[in-house]
Amino acid sequence: MTLSEKYRDEIAAILARYPVKRSALIPLLYLAQREQGYITEEAMIEIAGILGLTPPQVYETVTFYTLFNRKPVGKFHIQICKSLMCALVGSDSVIEWINTKLGIGPGETTPDGLFTLSLVECLASCGTGPMMQINDDYYERLTEEKVDQILSDLRSTGSSQLKSGPFMWPEPTKT
Amino acid sequence: MKAEYEPVTKEATPSSPTPNGRTMPQHEVILLKNMMQPGYGGSLTEYERAGGYQAIRMTLGKMAPSDVIAAVRKSGLRGRGGAGFPTGVKWGFLPKDYQGPRYLCCNADESEPGTFKDRQLMERDPHQVLEGIILACYAIGAESAYIYIRGELVLAAAILERAIGEARAAGYIGKNILGTGVNVDVWVHRGAGAYICGEETALLESLEGKRGLPRVKPPFPATHGLYGKPTVVNNVETLANLPHILTRGPEWFASIGSPPKSTGTRIFCVSGHVKRPGNYELPMGVTARELIYEHAGGMRSDKPLKAFIPGGASAPFLTPAHLDVKLDFESVAAAGSMLGSGGVTVIEEGTNMVWAALRLMEFFYHESCGKCSPCREGSSWLVQIMRRIVAKRGRMEDLETLSDLCKNIAGRTVCAFGDAEVAPIQGTLKYWRDEYVALIREAESANLIMPKPIGAQQHSSR
Amino acid sequence: MTTLASQSTSQQTGPLVRLTIDGITVHVPKGTLVIEAARRVGVMIPHFCYHPKLKPDANCRMCLVEIEKMPKLQTACSTLVEEGMNVRTATPVVNDAHKSVLEFILSNHPLDCPVCDQGGRCDLQDFSHQYTPTTSRFIEIKRVFQKEYFSPLIETQMNRCVQCLRCVRYCNEVMDVKALAPVGRGTLTEIKHFGPHPLHCEFCGGCVQICPVGAITSRLSMYEYRPWMLKRADTICGYCADGCQMTVQTKGQELIEVNSAWGAGRNNGDLCVRGFFGFHAVSHPARLTHPLIRRNDTLTVATWEEALAFIAERVSTIKQTYGGQSFGGLISSRCTNEELYVFQKFMRVTIGTNNIDSSARYGLLNAVHAMRAVQGVHRWTVSFEDIVAADVLLLVGTNITETNPVTGLRVKEAVKKQRASLITIEPLEPSIEPISNIANLSSLHCSVPSTYMCNAILGLLKAVVENNWIHADLTQRHPTYVRDLSEALAPIKWEALQATTGQDAAWFAAAAKLLAEGQRVVVLTGQSLLRQTGGYGNCLNLFDLLLLTGKLDRGGCGFAPLAEENNEQGAIEMGAAPEFLPGPCDSSARTERERILSSWTSDTPVAGGASLVEMLDQARAGILKAMFIVGENPVASLPAQVRAHDALRKLELLVCQELFLTDTAALAHVVLPAASSLEKAGTFTNTEGHVQAIRPAIEPIGESRPDWEIMAALSSLLGTPMDYAESRDILKEIREVIPGYGVLGPSPMMPRVEASAITRYLTDSYRHNLGERYRLLPHQKLADGTLQLELTHSLFHSGKFSAKAKGLLLVEPEGTLRISPRDANRFMLNNGDRVRLSNIRGEFTTTVKIMPRVPPGWAWFPNHFGSEVMQLFDCTIDPVTRVPAFRTTSVSIVKVA
Ligand SMILES: Cc1cc2nc3c(=O)[nH]c(=O)nc-3n(C[C@H](O)[C@H](O)[C@H](O)COP(=O)(O)O)c2cc1C
Ligand code: SF4
Ligand code: FES
Repeated sequence: MTLSEKYRDEIAAILARYPVKRSALIPLLYLAQREQGYITEEAMIEIAGILGLTPPQVYETVTFYTLFNRKPVGKFHIQICKSLMCALVGSDSVIEWINTKLGIGPGETTPDGLFTLSLVECLASCGTGPMMQINDDYYERLTEEKVDQILSDLRSTGSSQLKSGPFMWPEPTKT
Repeated sequence: MKAEYEPVTKEATPSSPTPNGRTMPQHEVILLKNMMQPGYGGSLTEYERAGGYQAIRMTLGKMAPSDVIAAVRKSGLRGRGGAGFPTGVKWGFLPKDYQGPRYLCCNADESEPGTFKDRQLMERDPHQVLEGIILACYAIGAESAYIYIRGELVLAAAILERAIGEARAAGYIGKNILGTGVNVDVWVHRGAGAYICGEETALLESLEGKRGLPRVKPPFPATHGLYGKPTVVNNVETLANLPHILTRGPEWFASIGSPPKSTGTRIFCVSGHVKRPGNYELPMGVTARELIYEHAGGMRSDKPLKAFIPGGASAPFLTPAHLDVKLDFESVAAAGSMLGSGGVTVIEEGTNMVWAALRLMEFFYHESCGKCSPCREGSSWLVQIMRRIVAKRGRMEDLETLSDLCKNIAGRTVCAFGDAEVAPIQGTLKYWRDEYVALIREAESANLIMPKPIGAQQHSSR
Repeated sequence: MTTLASQSTSQQTGPLVRLTIDGITVHVPKGTLVIEAARRVGVMIPHFCYHPKLKPDANCRMCLVEIEKMPKLQTACSTLVEEGMNVRTATPVVNDAHKSVLEFILSNHPLDCPVCDQGGRCDLQDFSHQYTPTTSRFIEIKRVFQKEYFSPLIETQMNRCVQCLRCVRYCNEVMDVKALAPVGRGTLTEIKHFGPHPLHCEFCGGCVQICPVGAITSRLSMYEYRPWMLKRADTICGYCADGCQMTVQTKGQELIEVNSAWGAGRNNGDLCVRGFFGFHAVSHPARLTHPLIRRNDTLTVATWEEALAFIAERVSTIKQTYGGQSFGGLISSRCTNEELYVFQKFMRVTIGTNNIDSSARYGLLNAVHAMRAVQGVHRWTVSFEDIVAADVLLLVGTNITETNPVTGLRVKEAVKKQRASLITIEPLEPSIEPISNIANLSSLHCSVPSTYMCNAILGLLKAVVENNWIHADLTQRHPTYVRDLSEALAPIKWEALQATTGQDAAWFAAAAKLLAEGQRVVVLTGQSLLRQTGGYGNCLNLFDLLLLTGKLDRGGCGFAPLAEENNEQGAIEMGAAPEFLPGPCDSSARTERERILSSWTSDTPVAGGASLVEMLDQARAGILKAMFIVGENPVASLPAQVRAHDALRKLELLVCQELFLTDTAALAHVVLPAASSLEKAGTFTNTEGHVQAIRPAIEPIGESRPDWEIMAALSSLLGTPMDYAESRDILKEIREVIPGYGVLGPSPMMPRVEASAITRYLTDSYRHNLGERYRLLPHQKLADGTLQLELTHSLFHSGKFSAKAKGLLLVEPEGTLRISPRDANRFMLNNGDRVRLSNIRGEFTTTVKIMPRVPPGWAWFPNHFGSEVMQLFDCTIDPVTRVPAFRTTSVSIVKVA
């Protein structure tokens, strides 16, 4: 099914936001990535058609942004922040820990296709590092135990309660 | 995980004696006030109950847009995104007689390592940001605002979308706001993973659906911004200040902090080796010492402070000697760094500063957009030298090359990224040159100076 | 309507700004960039990303200069001059900046100059020498890109790329093709097409030309040369009528490369694929290298002496027996003006006949006759610069990207840079493909089948009249004309217009309003209209549109019919048509005729003379006994119905001057090898009427000789010697006959419309076939299973000549039937499927290519390969202009295994 068939209304709503069509490119790419976790060539061609761009114009944009995958990734895409602020509080050991737990290094996917590990730069959680993002969710102030729990939650239920809610740190005092 | 955290239960105390006995003036929490109320969920009703959306009622249709600009100029509010440009002055650059659309872009790209305040403002009190956006739109005559939010902040984007829905239903957003005839539409636009898109012109390019490459200036966004139309780009925190300035008056705002040039509060994002990392809203001009030792609880272990960054990764490191520097734009600049985005990263003794600089350099290398040669080639060259030195393959000549390259990048690039990327190296070379030398000595004694192939490496992610 | 304002458009001088550059004071127009101001005073600021054709991007940072009062160094390529500015380009700080930027750029650049085709003309190499960096401090590992196949014609070596993005920007800003993508970010950015796919685009070669280093090069000349080994000849492309200047580079007799310099020629450095990659046609191994004489019904090699003597002997006999009128001459409008002139003179003076025609008969003559009828002058009154300066452009049936690609660039420039409004009435759907589509730039597009284009023109006229956008002056001075036109348009119903054009009254009103309100309106038309039945009448109708809206005699406005072959305009002006003597003057107008004949000291046969199709008819009827055919191939170019083959077979003498043994030449009694346009001197007149010199790049191949030499030699043998030592002597004679012909300046002198001619038209001659040209073509429903077939042009070819160019064949090796995705669905066809087209006249099998730009219900077949498709077409002859029309037909289509 083409994107236009699948997301007709959503596409129309996105296009309505901008006076110039091309602005809808990144939102449409997110749509294209929603289900399969990566952006196929067909999707790029279709989006080019919707926006009146050539496929190379879509392609150049896709390749500029790190959140767009051009290859399949695991069901859970673990992205660990490795920037200085997280590194100061131990992100390297989280990476090592995940490496030993899952047997994958950066850029690799577990054989069961569940987890892909990526190292990324700062995700705006420097005060609550070490941290990682798995798909859409943040997990902060990681410890080995916490990581174990998150991974097993994801395996068993597909989500984990340990993910961050609306962010505030330090937390407001409870009364 | 080895890192230990102390549970944080105590609210930042408004006033307490600092170790050197001085007392900070009483300060009021402005931006974080609502969310610090226990149980505050950031919904429209809660925001309204806390006095929210009064500024709109007091301003829209009641005050001329030019008076709003004048008030903001008078308040002394300066941009919280990094450059610290006076907000009212920036608004004043828009062409007066221009017919046709104008735009406001709320810069919610928050990607500067060390900074995590906008995320909190958006996730915990989204309406405060929206009210600021509506006020700014009114002041500059924009009918559309785009919140350009970094792609990773999925939750914040969802919270904002929900808040926009609420505000639209309540008549704060949309056509004819509260019957005043003012129209403002607000849209959330997610980025997709590129630090450079925080730079205002790269942000506009990205919002136009292109690669996020900064534009050559002039022309500036004020005249040729989004779709070539007059545009203002303001940071989330900057905008969040507006409702307060307009309800309580510019004079009130101008009296906070270190007037006349650095007024109001800043949300300092403290990270690194402190007991209580987190966001602390304090008047500008608070000393680094008070911020770190009072509010953030001091060093996490018995190791003393070795270095700190006062304003995000792009700001050069400072040393313990600078702890009494007032955290306002001028004082930090005078100390040889910058207040930037307010990200304060604290580093304890025992941390290798060459390694720390390399970590930041890796970030800048990864994020260089590649548009202009000094930054593009310079970042890859610098990172390779730094990797070599840290891997104990350095040579003494490298130090001169490093400082030369830094000098050749700064001020010669399309955007300020070039100045940012050399900051960590220049700062560490200045204060901790001996650590570089030590690593190189080790290399020389082990005779390990051949470079290792790293140039052909692909980007680490995806 | 008598004041004929025609101002020069090329240079609009605004207010001047004074500034100092390295102490030298310079005055330049406001809006000039510092780098350009510096160039004017001979100060060369080093740069990579700057290019005068492109918008500044200031990404390489090479051009940093010091400007007084500015805190930082500024990029000269993006900074506009300001009054009183003081620029320094060689201070220690600036020198240091240049050195350091160069050091950065070189850091990842491979040291492969010895194997780089750019070596010797590389900006990077040059600047490196200038700034003599000591041995590189860069000891790290250089970035390495994996080599990927890029395309059959273009090679990339991305390790050499300096990421100035000139290629990408050119492809987008100038070409509007957008086929190149900068992929990735940071140092790992590389120029690619789409994913792993090889480049698929217009192959204009612009990226090859504009790359300042050796990152993008032509595969046709890889590793073959160093620039200093090459000999260069500046000449004019021999393919289409845009008349692009190009520099042909050769090594001995070998053609190495073609390029074109910015600022040079009417094309200002732009070329299309044919110019850039098509030059190998002339060195194709099948070139004729010796004269051939038919002996025992086979063509056998002969010497020039034998061949010429043979011809002279036969000509004398036939002429004696049947008279000069039994001869006919047909010449290609690819020949030079000099050759066309000598040929018509040969036919008229030496042979004594007016039976003479050229390939301009296939279309352009429709426009020329209309121009003469309405505006008096027979050529454009607007130049390419006027197209760029226009505020409203109307394109009707131009197929401009494919047929006249470089004129197309001027239209793109007008729209993209000057913000002109573009109205297009073209048989074309807007579409995103890596070949630019002019409809994408259009503000009002009417995608209309070419047969109904006539109705769309009527729609515009009707909208002008109904909304009373008629120029007041005209209504006052020529009320009858206005009334007659209004009355002719009145019975036409909007519903009927909409049924055939797809557009309603509102659309036509919007378009007509633009035209009426435009200050500088240029109407371009082309082959889809000119080669269509009724082409002449439709040109007149377009003139009516210009007249009604008061544009025809306004400066910057005009009618611009696009010729297809390189020298069609010249062919007509040289008199290679029965109705025209050189000038062109009416061959039946007494005074003119006498003036020319006296200069020839001859008495050419009385007026009359057969045109192309008439000659063939006469040959078939046994009236015409002999023909000279120069570079034309009627057997393959005309519909089978014309029976050119039968006609030529009946001739007692057929002499062909040719490059290749074509279908027509194969029937000849004598075939003479001719030199190509890369092997001779002369002039071509491009579509805008600009006469430009061509120069030989190589020696004639084999024993081939320029056509004019052959004709001059024959004329001597036949007793009417035409003594020309060189082509320039002929041009001199042309200039005597056509006063001032071809001022070989850098830009053309545009003639003005003749007021008297316009008055004549408005008072009387407009009445000619008014009823006919103002008749709506009724809607005809297509039978199920059928398509309308149109013969079109491909961008990758020109005539049949280009099918000999190896570069072009790599992109498009054979003719394919282009159909719309909708019809592909309807007939369940995929790319590459074989289909049989048939109608009552015949059938033809070909391969399908799906192209979104083809309008549903239509199929295009580019006519560059073989003649089989011609059997499907019918041929109608315009009663006024004698132009044969065989552009469209309907066919049924079935898939074959
Ligand atoms: C490389 C670079 C990254 C930036 N990133 C951000 C950012 O993430 N968020 C932000 O608000 N401003 C960022 N800025 C600053 C913006 O360019 C701009 O100054 C700011 O959005 C203006 O808003 P303000 O005046 O309210 O601070 C960045 C600047 C540069 C040069
Ligand atoms: S390939 Fe050439 S033209 Fe294109 S960006 Fe690289 S250096 Fe510039
Ligand atoms: S030529 Fe000016 S920056 Fe490249």
